[in-house]
Amino acid sequence: MEPDDLAALLAATARQDRTAFERLYRASSAKLFGVALRILRREDWAEEVLQDAYVSIWNRASTYTPGLSAPMTWMTSIVRNRCLDWLRRPQMEVADEDGAIVEATESAWSGPLEQLEQSRDAQAVSRCLKALEGKQRQAVMLAFFEGLSHTELAGRMREPLGSVKTWVRRGLMRLKTCLSPA
Amino acid sequence: MDFRHKPELQDRLAAEYVLGTLRGPARARFRHWLREDAGLRQVVQAWEVRLSPLAAGVPAVEPPRRVWKAIEEAITERQMGAGRATQPAASRGLWDSLAFWRNLGLATSGAAAALLAALTLFAPEAPGPAPAPQIVRVPAETLPASYFAVLSDPRTQKPVLMVAAARHSDQLMVKRLDESIVVAERSLELWALPAGGGAPRSLGLVAAQARHALKLQGPADRTLGEIPALAISLEPVGGSPTGAPTGPVLYTGPCIKYW
Repeated sequence: MEPDDLAALLAATARQDRTAFERLYRASSAKLFGVALRILRREDWAEEVLQDAYVSIWNRASTYTPGLSAPMTWMTSIVRNRCLDWLRRPQMEVADEDGAIVEATESAWSGPLEQLEQSRDAQAVSRCLKALEGKQRQAVMLAFFEGLSHTELAGRMREPLGSVKTWVRRGLMRLKTCLSPA
Repeated sequence: MDFRHKPELQDRLAAEYVLGTLRGPARARFRHWLREDAGLRQVVQAWEVRLSPLAAGVPAVEPPRRVWKAIEEAITERQMGAGRATQPAASRGLWDSLAFWRNLGLATSGAAAALLAALTLFAPEAPGPAPAPQIVRVPAETLPASYFAVLSDPRTQKPVLMVAAARHSDQLMVKRLDESIVVAERSLELWALPAGGGAPRSLGLVAAQARHALKLQGPADRTLGEIPALAISLEPVGGSPTGAPTGPVLYTGPCIKYW
């Protein structure tokens, strides 16, 4: 669905139009469920977060400002924030310890960079990601797609925490430079 | 840390907030700044615009049908809740006043605000709109030394629930300020969050009634004395099966001493 259509559906949702909200959900929920599942690695948690996020979208649709961000950007941020808050909970159990969910989605995943290139919205960011050094790119992508903290990144990449922090920081700043209009 | 005059630090923290590597207390602190600082919100939004398109790299997965059903139920519930809200206009203005609640939440010496809030909490439900000046005239001596907390929605900053317990009492008085927080087929569980990030302790479930009391596991001085904040999480009916929060934390607020 085109961003303009999503924006129109969001505007109607702000007027408490249930039909528009349902269409918005149908057009966007699979993408956002994928995002939540990837970060949380447990279907029940991802369902819960998705539900919560859409209730929030319903309640806050009127605060969406079309000029500032694309509808998917706005909704993705709501879902990702919810996921990260969820991971912040004290006494978190280890989700998907055997990696089954990651594996299951992995097989349907041609790799985020390739997938990214197929999306018009993501062309600029995927070009800039490619321009990063390998470790920087890996750290930024793992953090974004899997919701890993610095410590978790260090564990996953088998690299010292200090190096990982530096890669994330430099990677982000280089992305910013690359994405800013010349 | 004077963070407002360090745009580079702001930008770096905003980037890591959006990426997700800003975690734990730092994330909570950052979100607090975010609520207060429109400029910082713009910095965060710019990072969202930069990074969110990455989500296009994640394969779409159709969520089960029950998710939409639950969303529909939740928003129907909220709409009905909004229709049922019949608070008198005068007191509504007070409850909704952001500055009032901010002061109450932030000021440890916010005695006047706490007094006003406490009196409204403990006062029997007035049949009509209670004029505010009448409330303020009640002498302070009538108030017992108590613990107070006002829990609010971090997104809207709207206060949703208030609790209070006299120092030596084991009764925690609960007053719901926003009817719409009740969720069908779920329970809202109230937690004490110990200083230093210790494991949250359940204080019980928020009941369906607008006002009720929860029994603490001892006098408030012992059970709330070292508790800087309370939180409410969304749980299965009957509360968390594990003894720790399992659902999202929906509302939080500082727990303050008034005496």
